[in-house]
Amino acid sequence: MFVSDFRKEFYEVVQSQRVLLFVASDVDALCACKILQALFQCDHVQYTLVPVAGWQELETAFLEHKAQFRYFILINCGANVDLLDILQPDEDTIFFVCDTHRPVNVVNVYNDTQIKLLIKQDDDLEVPAYDDIFRDDEEDEEHLGNDSDGSEPSGSEPSEKRTRLEEEIVEQTRRRRQRREWEARRRDILFDYEQYEYHGTSSAMVMFDLAWMMSKDLNDMLWWAIVGLTDQWVQDKITQMKYVTDVGILQRHVSRHNHRNEDEENTLSVDCTRVSFEYDLRLALYQHWSLHDSLCNTSYTAARFKLWSVHGQKRLQEFLADMGLPLKQVKQKFQSMDISLKENLREMIEESATKFGMKDMRVQTFSIHFGFKHKFLASDVVFATMSLLENPEKDGSGTDHFIQALDSLSRSNLDKLYLGLELAKKQLRATQQTIASCLCTNLVISQGPFLYCSLTEGTPDAALFSKPVSLNLLSRHLLKSFVYSTKNRRCKLLPLVMAAPLNAEQGTVTMVGIPPETDSSDRKNFFGRAFEKAAASTSSRTLHNHFDFSDHCLRRPSLSSRCRSCLQAGSSQAQSRPGPGWCRFTPRAVAPAGRSCLRCVRVMELKAEDRSKFLDALVSLLS
Amino acid sequence: MFCEKAMELVRELHRAPEGQLPAFNEDGLRQVLEEMKALYEQNQSDVNEAKSGGRSDLIPTIKFRHCSLLRNRRCTVAYLYDRLLRIRALRWEYGSVLPNALRFHMSAEEMEWFNHYKKSLATYMRSLGGDEGLDITQDMKPPKSLYIEVRCLKDYGEFEVDDGTSILLKKNSQHFLPRWKCEQLIRQGVLEHVLS
Repeated sequence: MFVSDFRKEFYEVVQSQRVLLFVASDVDALCACKILQALFQCDHVQYTLVPVAGWQELETAFLEHKAQFRYFILINCGANVDLLDILQPDEDTIFFVCDTHRPVNVVNVYNDTQIKLLIKQDDDLEVPAYDDIFRDDEEDEEHLGNDSDGSEPSGSEPSEKRTRLEEEIVEQTRRRRQRREWEARRRDILFDYEQYEYHGTSSAMVMFDLAWMMSKDLNDMLWWAIVGLTDQWVQDKITQMKYVTDVGILQRHVSRHNHRNEDEENTLSVDCTRVSFEYDLRLALYQHWSLHDSLCNTSYTAARFKLWSVHGQKRLQEFLADMGLPLKQVKQKFQSMDISLKENLREMIEESATKFGMKDMRVQTFSIHFGFKHKFLASDVVFATMSLLENPEKDGSGTDHFIQALDSLSRSNLDKLYLGLELAKKQLRATQQTIASCLCTNLVISQGPFLYCSLTEGTPDAALFSKPVSLNLLSRHLLKSFVYSTKNRRCKLLPLVMAAPLNAEQGTVTMVGIPPETDSSDRKNFFGRAFEKAAASTSSRTLHNHFDFSDHCLRRPSLSSRCRSCLQAGSSQAQSRPGPGWCRFTPRAVAPAGRSCLRCVRVMELKAEDRSKFLDALVSLLS
Repeated sequence: MFCEKAMELVRELHRAPEGQLPAFNEDGLRQVLEEMKALYEQNQSDVNEAKSGGRSDLIPTIKFRHCSLLRNRRCTVAYLYDRLLRIRALRWEYGSVLPNALRFHMSAEEMEWFNHYKKSLATYMRSLGGDEGLDITQDMKPPKSLYIEVRCLKDYGEFEVDDGTSILLKKNSQHFLPRWKCEQLIRQGVLEHVLS
C-alpha cells in the first residue's frame, strides 16, 4: 500500500528499531541512501547497509538476514515485482520500498500489511482498480457447491425438479460466462498496465522531501537530491517536462538554503558549501577537461556534428572558428584557458550552437562550490559516480566499487571523486570511439522491426560495456548518432537492440533494448515484456538478473527458427495465471527465469548460443 | 667503574619506546646486587678497621663506596618502578588479559603486582555507578557520538547486539552500531570506522 504520511507511517516506525537497507547499484539509489543514512545517524537508528546489484543478490542477502531483522528498506529495487512471492518473508516482516521503477506491481499496491510503498501518489501511476483485478473465488465455489447439491436426483417430483435443474444449469452457464468475460477484461487491463516500463520521481528527491518534512534537511542532502535527479536525466529515464518541473522544486530549496551568499556583507566563508542554480552548457565534464575533448565526447554534440566522419570534424572546426576560439586554447585544460575567453563562453557557445542546429545547448542544472578549487556541476558528479560504480577493474568485487562510489559522494573524499572523473573521461571517450567504429563499419543492421548491433569480443573496452548502465548509455548514444547518420527515414523510427559480450568463459552476452528516438518520447519501454516472451518461447537460457528488466543475459550459440511458432503460441499464454482460490497475478509464472516487470531499459543476460534464435523470436514478435 | 651495570639497566629502559615493556633483565639486576654486596662488604671491613685501627685515611674510600651504593640503589629502584608504571598502563590498554608475549617479559613478582592492581581496579569500578558498576577503561577520550558508522572489512559471521539479536557481518556491509560494542572488533581489524 502507499504510505501517505511518510513521517508517521515510515520514519517514526523505524526510528526505534533496527533496519536493514537494501540499496541497488545506481547513482540515484546511492544518493537516496546517503540522505537516509544522514537522517538515521542524526536519530541514532541502528541500521545495516547491504548493496545489491540484482535479484539473485537480493534474494541471497534476504535469506541471510531475515532471521535478524524485521524491518527492511529497499531503495530502487522491488516495486515492480511481487515481493512476497519472490522473497517469501515471515508474517511479521515489513518492507518499505522506495523505488523509481514503474509500473508498480499490483500485489504490492494492494497488500495492506507487509509492503509499504514510499512513492508519491501524484506521480502518474494509473493503478487499475481493485475490483478489476482481484476477486473472491469463494462465493463462486459456494454457488457451484449449492448447484451441485441441488442437482442431486430424488425422483419425487420429476417435472419440478427438471425445471429447477434447467434453471440452475442456465444460471451456472451464465455465471461461468461472466467469469470468463471478467478474466478476459482483467488480462487486458493488466497487459495495458504492465506493458510499458518507465520511471517515476527520483528516490533521492523522495528522501529529501522526508527530511524537509522533519525539518532536518541540510545543504548536503539537497545536493544529493540534485545529483539523484540529474542521474535520471543523464540516463534519459524521465521526460524533459518532468525534469524541468523537478528542477523547479529543487530550485526553491536551493534558494532557501543558499540565500546568504547574495548579501554582500554577510557572505559565508569560501570553505562553506554553496549550491547554486546554473543555466549551463550540457557538455559533459567540460570544466574538468579541455573544451575540445568535451565537445567531441558529449553525445549531444558528437551526434549532431557527426564527428565520426571527416566532414563532421570540419564542421567542428567551423563551429570553433565561428566563435573566435583559437584551437590552441580550446585544446588545453579548461581551467587554463584565457579568462577573456571564458567570460562569455556560455552565451557564445549557445549562439553559435543555434546556428549549427543545436538549440538545447544549455540546460538547467545546479553546481556546488566549496573551497577555492572545487567546483562541480551535478552532471560531473553523476558521471564520476557512475564510472566508479561500474569500474571494469577486476581487483575489487562489485560491492567494493559500490562502497567506493558511496564514499565519493561525501565531501571529505574528494580524491575518490577526482578518480571517478578520470574514469568517466575514459568511459566517455571509449563510448564515442565505439560508436564511431560501429557507424563507420555499418555494424548497425536493420532486422525489420528493430535495429540490431552487436559488439564482438575483440572490441577495445568490451569489458567496460558488459555492465548494464554503461551499455545502456552506449546504446542510447548509438541510437541517437545513428538517427543522425542515416538517410533512411524509416530507420529513424526504429528501436535498437544491442548485444555485448559479458563473460567469455561462460559464453554469455548482455542484451539491451532501447525504445525509438522521438522528440516527444515519454520514455516508456516495452522491451521487457518482449524480451521475456521471446526468451520464454525459445527457451533460451536467459538470466533476468538486473532490476531493469530490459537487461538480459543470453548464451551465445544458435537459435533456430523452430522457435518462431513457439513464440506465437507462447505470446497469448504469457499473460495471466490465476492461482487456485485467490485470484492473483503471479508474474513468476510467465517466464521461467523472468519477471514481468518492465523497466525502462531492457537489459538481459543471455547465453551466446541462444542469441540468434532469440533475435528471430523477437523479430517475429515485434513485426 | 662502579654503577656501570645499574646505568645499563636504566639506559635499557630509557631506550624502550613509550608503552613497551622490554624483558625483565634478571641478569643485570643480579649483577648490580652482587656489586652492591661486594661494595658493602668491603665498606664493612674498612669501617671496622678505621674504627679499631684508627686509620682515618680510609674514610674517603668508605664515603666513595657509600655513594656508589646509594647510586646503585637509586638506579635499581628507578628501573623497577618504571617497569611497574608501564605494566599499569598495559592494563588500561589491553584489558585484564594480557597477550602471552608480554607476560613472558614480566617477572613473577611483577605478575603478582599486576594481579593485585587488577583486583583493586575491578573493586573500584564495581563500587561506582550503582549496582552494575562502571567500566572506566572504555572511552579514554570523551566520545563524539554514541553510535558510529562502521564498515566490515572481512566476513566475520554473526555478532551479538544488546537486545540479544545478532547481526551478520559480511564483507562490505555497513552498520551503525553503538560505539562500545564495535571497539573490540575495530581493534581486531574486522570493522573499520567510516568518517564521512
